[in-house]
Amino acid sequence: MENLKSAAKYTLDALINGGADSAQVSVSEGKIEEFNVDAGDFSLIRSVFNSSLAAKVIKNKRKGTVSLNQLDKEAIDIAVAECLAAADASVEDDALSIATKEENCDFVDGVLVPDKSVFFDSIIKFCDDIERDYPEIMLEQLIATYSYGKHIVMNTNGVEFTEEDGAYNISVMYSAHKGDESTSFNYFDVDFLDPASDIMEFDMVRTNFERAVKELDAQSFEGKFEGVAVFAPACFGDILSTVMGSFAGDFALIEGTSPWKNSLGKEVAGKDFTLKVIPHSEKIVCGENITSDGYKSQDYCIINKGVLESFCLTEYASRKTGLKRSPSTSSCIEVTAGERSFDEIVASIDKGILVCRFSGGEPANNGDFSGVAKNSFLIENGKVTKPLTETMISGNIAAMLKNVYAISKETVCDGSSVLPYAAFAGVTVSGK
Amino acid sequence: MEDFTVNLLKNIPSHAEVRQQTARTRRVSVVGGNLVSNMSAVSKGVCARVYKNGVWGFASKSAADERAVKEVLQAANENAILLDSRKPKNIPELLGAGTSSYVEKRGFVETDQKLLVDFAREIDEYIVSKYPSLSSRSVGIASSCIEKTLHTSEGAYGYQLFPRVYIMISMSAETSDGDTVELFDVFGGGEGYFTDYYSTPDKLYPDIDVMYNKLMQKREGVFPNAGERLCIIDSSLAGMLAHEAVGHTVEADLVLSGSVAASNLGKQVASPLINLTDFANEAFGKKAPLPVYIDDEGTKCEDAVIIKDGVLAGYMNNLESAMHFGVKPQGNARAYSFSDEPLIRMRNTAIHPGKDKLEDMIASVDDGYYLVNTQNGQADTTGEFMFGITMGYEIKNGKIGKALRDTTISGVAFNMLKTVDMLSDGITWDFAGYCGKKQPMPVAMGGPAIRCKVNIGGR
Repeated sequence: MENLKSAAKYTLDALINGGADSAQVSVSEGKIEEFNVDAGDFSLIRSVFNSSLAAKVIKNKRKGTVSLNQLDKEAIDIAVAECLAAADASVEDDALSIATKEENCDFVDGVLVPDKSVFFDSIIKFCDDIERDYPEIMLEQLIATYSYGKHIVMNTNGVEFTEEDGAYNISVMYSAHKGDESTSFNYFDVDFLDPASDIMEFDMVRTNFERAVKELDAQSFEGKFEGVAVFAPACFGDILSTVMGSFAGDFALIEGTSPWKNSLGKEVAGKDFTLKVIPHSEKIVCGENITSDGYKSQDYCIINKGVLESFCLTEYASRKTGLKRSPSTSSCIEVTAGERSFDEIVASIDKGILVCRFSGGEPANNGDFSGVAKNSFLIENGKVTKPLTETMISGNIAAMLKNVYAISKETVCDGSSVLPYAAFAGVTVSGK
Repeated sequence: MEDFTVNLLKNIPSHAEVRQQTARTRRVSVVGGNLVSNMSAVSKGVCARVYKNGVWGFASKSAADERAVKEVLQAANENAILLDSRKPKNIPELLGAGTSSYVEKRGFVETDQKLLVDFAREIDEYIVSKYPSLSSRSVGIASSCIEKTLHTSEGAYGYQLFPRVYIMISMSAETSDGDTVELFDVFGGGEGYFTDYYSTPDKLYPDIDVMYNKLMQKREGVFPNAGERLCIIDSSLAGMLAHEAVGHTVEADLVLSGSVAASNLGKQVASPLINLTDFANEAFGKKAPLPVYIDDEGTKCEDAVIIKDGVLAGYMNNLESAMHFGVKPQGNARAYSFSDEPLIRMRNTAIHPGKDKLEDMIASVDDGYYLVNTQNGQADTTGEFMFGITMGYEIKNGKIGKALRDTTISGVAFNMLKTVDMLSDGITWDFAGYCGKKQPMPVAMGGPAIRCKVNIGGR
C-alpha cells in the first residue's frame, strides 16, 4: 500500500503546486487470474497485472480529470499537467467539490490470497456436472475469475481511505442444443469467496439449465394480450438498474427528466415493494466501502413500502439539485421478499408470461419500454406452459411499479444482489 | 526493444504473440449547460499470448519496457503449460499463421482539450438559444486513438493506429400529456482526428435543426400497432441488421457454440437480393470507415464474404477456427485493450446496396412503417435480433404519416432476410458504435434501405 500512498501524495502535491485549489486522487493496483471455456472446452488462462491512477482537480471553480495506468513520476507529471490544463479549459461550476473529511478508515475484505488450484478444480467439476446432468447444455462461454485489488483514495481535505479485497466470480453464457435445434442464449454471474464452492448448487443454476432444456420446444406466439408478467430475479434486476439510473440517477434529476422528480416522500410503487442498496450486507461479496465521491459507503433505502425515500445521487448532483447525496454509489441491491411463493403466484395467474431475460431498446426517460421476451414461458390457467420465441412485451416501468401484482418469498443471491421474482399486471404481450 | 521482443519469441516453440498498445481518450460532455465530463486518459501496456497443443496462455502488464515484455511472455507460457497439463486438447500445431508486415505511415496527432470543450459549449449554446423549450439537451465529444505494435513468433509485424472521433447530441421535449420524448444522434466524424472532420460548430447547425424538427414530430407521435408489419428500414439502421442479426451468428466461435449459422452454410438464408460482406479496409471502391490491415494474430486482413446472392457463403474466423473449418483466415482476430486477448470480431460489416430508389420503396407500402433511427441492438445465436427504434413514421397509402414513439423491432434474421424484396441504391455507414463481446470493440456497419417484414412492438 505504501507505493500507492506515495503515488497519491506525489500527485496531490504536484496538483496543488500547479495551482489547484483542491484535488482528489484514487490509485489502484491489482491482478486478475482468469480461466476461459469456449464452446464447451477450456481455451485460455489469462493473468492481468494492472495499476491505475485517477485524479480530479478543482481550480478557480473549474474541474479537470485525468486517468492513467502508469505510476512512475514521469507519467504522473505529464498527467498532472494534463489535468490542470483540462481545468483551465473548463467552465466555472459552483457545484464542484471534493469529499469532506469524516473518519478515515482502512478496509480489508474477502480473499487476499487465491487458491488457484482449488478454484480450477471447482470449475472443472462444474463443467463435468453440466455434461453429466444436462447434456443438452452448451457452455458458449464461461469466464471464471479471481480478482484482487488494493486501492487508496486521498484528497486535499485530508480524506484517506485504503481498501484491499479479493473475490472469485463465475460468469456463464449458455444455450441448449438438440440436433439442429438450439435455444436462445442466457447467462448468469455469481460472486463468491470459497474457491471450493459447488457451483452447480448456487441459487438458480439448476433452474436456469432446466428451463433452457425446456426451451428446446419453444414456439412463436401468435396474437396479443394484456396480462401479468412475472420477471425472474436476474431480469428484474436489469429493470431496477434502469429505475436507479433513469428515474433516480444524477442526470435524470439534474436534467429534470425523471418521472419521479417531484415524488420524494410519495408513493411510487405498490405497498409491498421495498428496494434497498446494501453494500455492507453479509450477503454481498466485497461490497462498496468507498463511494465514487470519496466518502465511506453506507446502506440505504430507495423505496420503503412503496414510498420514495431517496434518489441515487452523487455529491455533484446533490449540490446541483439541492437534494440529498446518497450514502452509497453501489449497485448492490435487495428487494424485500414477499409472502407468496413463486408457485402460488403463478397459480393465481390466468394469462401471463414468465420473463427470464429481456432484450430491448433502452427504456425511454418516462419508463416506456418494449422488447423481446427471451428464454420466456407462457403462463396459462395458473401454470407455466409453453416456452416462447419471437414474443415481445411492452409497458411502462413507472406504471408497472405502481401496479405490483406480487413479490415472491423466494429470493436469489448472486453475491451482488438479493432479488425475488416480481410480477406486474398490465404488460402487453404480442407475437406474430 | 523490437529485436529484444523478436529474440524472446524465438524461444517459444509454438505460435506466440507480443502486443504493445497505447490507448488515448479525450471525452467532453455538456449536459444541460453543465460541463459534467472533461477528461483525458492514457492506458499503456504489453501482453503476450502463447499457444500450446490447442490451448492458450495469456498475460498482460501495465508497463512497456523490456522487463515487462519478458515477464508477460513467461507468464503466458506458464499459463499455457498449466492449461495443457490439466485439460489437454492435443492439437500440436496452429496452422495458417501469417508472416506479413504492415506499418502505418501516419503518426499520432494530439488533440487540444480546450478545442473540444469550446466546440461542445458553442453547440450547446446554439441549441439552448434557438430551442429554449427543450426539456433537456446534451452534447458529447469522444476522441480516441489506439496504437498497436504486434510481433508474432512467425515473424509477422504490425504497427497500426486506430484514431476515431465523433460528436453525439441528445435532446428531449415534453409532450402535451406530460411525457418526455427524446432523440440521440451522431454528427459527423469517423476514422481520424477532430480537425479532420470538424472546422466550426456552425457547420453542424443545419443538421441540429433537422434533429429538432424530428423531435417535434416525435412529440406528437403515436405507438405502432404491435405485430409483424411491412417496413422500410432506413439505410441509417441497415448496418445494425448486418452486424447484430447476421454478423454475430457467423462469428466462427459462436458457430462452434451451435449458432444458427452452423447448419446453414451453403444454404439459401436470405432473398437473392442480399449480399453481405465484412470488409477489411476498403469497401465499394473507398477506404472503409474503420480500416484494419493486420489483425492481432498477425493475419493480413481480407474481406470476409458472408452472404452471396442470398446464400450463406462463409464465417468470420481466427487462426484456430480457420484451421478447424479448413479455410484461409481473413484477419478477424482483434483485441480491444492491451490486457485483452484477440477474439473473433467484425470490422466493417455491410449489406450491399441494390437498385431501388428510397421514394419508390416508401410509395410501394400501403400500410406499414418507415424506421429511421436506432440507438441499440442485440442478437442471439439463434439469429433472433432486436433493435430499439428511436425515430420512425407510419406509412399510409405510400405516404409518410405520423411519427412514432420509441419502439422495438425484432425478428429471426434468416427468416426476415427472405422477406426482403427491395434494396435502395445508397449506403449509409455507422462508425461510432462499440460492439460488446467480453471486450468492447470499435466497429463499423452499413447498408442500404431495406423493404422487409419485421415484428414491431407497440401497444
